[in-house]
Amino acid sequence: MYNQLTPEIIEEIKKVSNNVFLGEEINPDYAKDEMPIYGTHMPDLAVQPRSTEEVAAVMKICYENNIPVTPRGAGTGLAGGAVPLYGGVLIDISKMNKIKSYDMENFVVEIEAGVLLNDLAEDCQSKGMLYPPDPGEKFACVGGNVATNAGGMRAVKYGATRDYVRAMTVVLPTGEITHLGATVSKTSSGYSLLNLMIGSEGTLGIITELTLKIIPAPKAVASLIIPYEDLETALATVPKFKMAHMNPQAIEFMEREIVLASERYIGKSVFPQELEGVQIGAYLLVTLDGNSEDEVDALIEQAAELVLEAGAIDVLVADTSAKMKDAWAARSSFLEAIMEETKLLDECDVVVPVNKIAEYLTFVNKTGEECGLVIKSFGHAGDGNLHIYQCSNDLEEEEFKKRVDKFFDIIYKEATNCGGLVSGEHGIGSGKVKYLVDSVGETNMAIMEGIKRVFDPKMILNPGKVCYRL
Amino acid sequence: MMNLADYKNIWVFIETECGKPKNVGFELINAAKPLAQEKGCELIAVVIGKDIEGVAKDAICYGADSAIIVDGPEYEYYTTDAFAKALVALVEKYKPETLMIGATNNGRDLGPRVSCRLKTGLTADCTAIAIDEETGNVAWTRPTFGGNLMATIMCPENRPQMGTVRPAVFKKGAYDEAKTGEIVKEEITVAADEIRTTLIERVKEVAESINLEEAEIIVSGGRGVGSQENFQLLQDLADVLGATVGCSRAVVDAGWMPHAHQVGQSGKTVAPKLYFAIGISGAIQHVAGISGSDTIVAINKDPDAPIFDVADYGIVGNLNEVVPALTEAFKAEKA
Amino acid sequence: MNICVCIKQVPDTNEIKVDPVTHTLVRKGVPSIVNPFDTYAQEVGVRLKEKLGGKVVVISMGPEQAKEAIKTCLSVGADAGYLISSRKFGGSDTLATSYILSEAIKAVEEKEGLKFDLILCGKQAVDGDTAQVGPEIAEHLGLPQITYALDIIEKDGDIQVKRECDEGYDMISTQLPAVVTVVRLPYEPRYPTIKSKMAAKKKEIPVLTEEDIPAINLERCGLSGSPTKVKKTYTPVTEKNGVKLEGMEAEDAAKEVVKLIYDAKIL
Repeated sequence: MYNQLTPEIIEEIKKVSNNVFLGEEINPDYAKDEMPIYGTHMPDLAVQPRSTEEVAAVMKICYENNIPVTPRGAGTGLAGGAVPLYGGVLIDISKMNKIKSYDMENFVVEIEAGVLLNDLAEDCQSKGMLYPPDPGEKFACVGGNVATNAGGMRAVKYGATRDYVRAMTVVLPTGEITHLGATVSKTSSGYSLLNLMIGSEGTLGIITELTLKIIPAPKAVASLIIPYEDLETALATVPKFKMAHMNPQAIEFMEREIVLASERYIGKSVFPQELEGVQIGAYLLVTLDGNSEDEVDALIEQAAELVLEAGAIDVLVADTSAKMKDAWAARSSFLEAIMEETKLLDECDVVVPVNKIAEYLTFVNKTGEECGLVIKSFGHAGDGNLHIYQCSNDLEEEEFKKRVDKFFDIIYKEATNCGGLVSGEHGIGSGKVKYLVDSVGETNMAIMEGIKRVFDPKMILNPGKVCYRL
Repeated sequence: MMNLADYKNIWVFIETECGKPKNVGFELINAAKPLAQEKGCELIAVVIGKDIEGVAKDAICYGADSAIIVDGPEYEYYTTDAFAKALVALVEKYKPETLMIGATNNGRDLGPRVSCRLKTGLTADCTAIAIDEETGNVAWTRPTFGGNLMATIMCPENRPQMGTVRPAVFKKGAYDEAKTGEIVKEEITVAADEIRTTLIERVKEVAESINLEEAEIIVSGGRGVGSQENFQLLQDLADVLGATVGCSRAVVDAGWMPHAHQVGQSGKTVAPKLYFAIGISGAIQHVAGISGSDTIVAINKDPDAPIFDVADYGIVGNLNEVVPALTEAFKAEKA
Repeated sequence: MNICVCIKQVPDTNEIKVDPVTHTLVRKGVPSIVNPFDTYAQEVGVRLKEKLGGKVVVISMGPEQAKEAIKTCLSVGADAGYLISSRKFGGSDTLATSYILSEAIKAVEEKEGLKFDLILCGKQAVDGDTAQVGPEIAEHLGLPQITYALDIIEKDGDIQVKRECDEGYDMISTQLPAVVTVVRLPYEPRYPTIKSKMAAKKKEIPVLTEEDIPAINLERCGLSGSPTKVKKTYTPVTEKNGVKLEGMEAEDAAKEVVKLIYDAKIL
């Protein structure tokens, strides 16, 4: 179906790129992302282009010769999206990492797609600005964030990555370069190809440059650590914030076990484990922002009243940057902490309606028990996006996969039943295709596949991902 | 009012423990030498400890003109009460114009206790010392505000002028075995009940002692290294070079390395022949701690990182590629 | 056990930047915080109090604004706080500052009707970095001192101090009362709760001036009581014109640097 690379094709690629790797030179990390359980595959050739034109030239050669191409950023994905399932050429855009310019009158920043989220966040901060999307993995490429429409912690108030992409430069599977979107805040100008590209996980084109919306950084922020006896009570609080017209930046939930693991991992303990003789079973971590310290102080008081009434045991206030950093350091290390303590790992990031989280998690935990799996979960309580991890230290890999398959079949079905979707931000990749089919149905899958064919008539770009089943 | 003219000579306190000297004392002798020459005064080493006559001899071989020693069993381990009593008694008897102490934990414990008892001024944690041309006073220079600001401080009307000086800022002089000088023994006894603190036990926690201050080559990583696991790349390079691994504060904060490895204003001051700053942006706090290095090699993906301003050799690139490449290149060169 | 914690309000030195043009410190917009080492002293003080009973009293010398720092401590377990403030105290170096604090401590003992068993300080303030005020308070009060404490452990009503040393720690006991300066603890300072924060907000913080400390000798305060004088301050400028390799393949750049190092006979 696809052609193999020949010495002639390799020579052609070398003519248009000085950054070609073959055989032993290829970085072994290219075979996987952070979820190697979905399989590992090496590319036959890797390129680290420095410009959009270079990406386009390589893409064009592959199109003409029917060679599969897999785009890759920092490789921090969790669904196998950047793994070259069919070998061929891998295009690693992580060297395209320049922050090009700020337009402080239109509040946008122009970057190359390989810029790390952490670098963009710090650079914006140094200019008194905020790029609101805040996925947990700070060392991901922004291009990858856009390709999966990552949401992150601040999505409750500020929305997901999609809301901050104004324009982009894309290399199409044919090797053509096209520009989508514009630096304007409204559009009613035909189909939104820009929005189609966001979340397409590198199946419709390779994003090489981005124009992103930024906002003036809020003047004051504070976080609250809110301990509860159990998760149900904690989650029942969440809708009450909105009811009270409060608009927190972030509302995260976490269970006792995962907090303990994370604190072991970072070597610091900031979350109280027992208060007033009650063992803490779950926490909410809430961030409030405003235009002055007084405004935030008032919000803190209002929030405290609300959660104490709803059964919180106490409210701890992180009102200095050091205390906020410590509180969020634990939250940001959940995945690493789980990985550290776990041999076999799989995960899903379903999103369910906010009022169904508690009920759904109870179901998940029960299912986990029935399937013989250890389940650890945390996530974005404010938007219903859950991160559910299946862990094992003693099962054989085959047996583990079997149990996880069974577990996924049940819990994804339940997610769909209660009005949810397969993935909130990690994407479908290769790992979640069959659950996407079950969730959205054949009709919608057929539309997606049709769209894919328009962009990529030879089906060579990132094959085996999202909707294209081989 | 004290008569300043009564006070002369420069003293360097040589810290010892269980009879063994700390390097910083000998470094200070070398640092104080040009000052003594400028003032035309004597440079005297002061050693308090147990069985330390050999240390006094070493101090002379490293450049002191003479030495004063206080030797006794009560000085085997450092205690504030015993050492402060002995040092104050010596100062009151001999009236030195200047007294320098190494800014180790014990030096910074002893210095203020002694200066306060003598009601004189002490400048802490100095990184440069000179004689002020106008007044002939010692001009003590030290970093402050986290290394963002340097301050030069003098003590014009009180004597002795005291300062603690950071280890590894100055280098030891050459050891001249043939050099001789007078060693004066002073008997100062401290009764057991005058020492109000008791050492119950000494617990070793660090498996191998991390001696960044005396390391010749340091391979240091910052937050840019990305993860705890990635420090293996730095360890590999360090192994080839026989170097010690250090890190920036961000790395300690992230829990990737223990505090003992931290280089910088709030960590250790280092002065190796060769310092590798890998994935370290070069915050002023860090730079303040490495400025004594002979040669700095910086590796950073950001071409505008301030570390490149202080580096002798810089590579702009991905450390995941550059560091293994360096390891290989050094291996090849050594083979 | 009655405990006095001496704290200092400092600018967050991590947020201080140097103006690249004027080479002066940019202090505008830099938040004021409780000196981080002092927050550990405060935490261990409160933990000891919780075990042994007694009172934790926070004192701080500084301008009116330093009341905020004291309130922060009150919100995490201190029972009372005093601000030591007077124009006559301005310009004090460490010797004068420690003298004023030691006299203030006596005055506070009088006012509170108690004797302190333990006086705790942070190892050093992150703005001055001198680490002198703690030991000097001990000297002024004639008390034993232990510096660089990693933890303070209560044992049968007595305390033992883990003191940082090169290869680990020394376990040291001391007569009381004593002064202990704290580096870091194996645990983090607690977070204020909403209730404790609100309560602290409402608490009155008495200000002590020289009039409230009758025994104080003003000759020994402020500039006149300070033997050290700052001659000049400047921002360090360190710029080498080093070799910077950009846009090269990692392998080539590495080889080039290794060659340069050997050519320069550094190794």
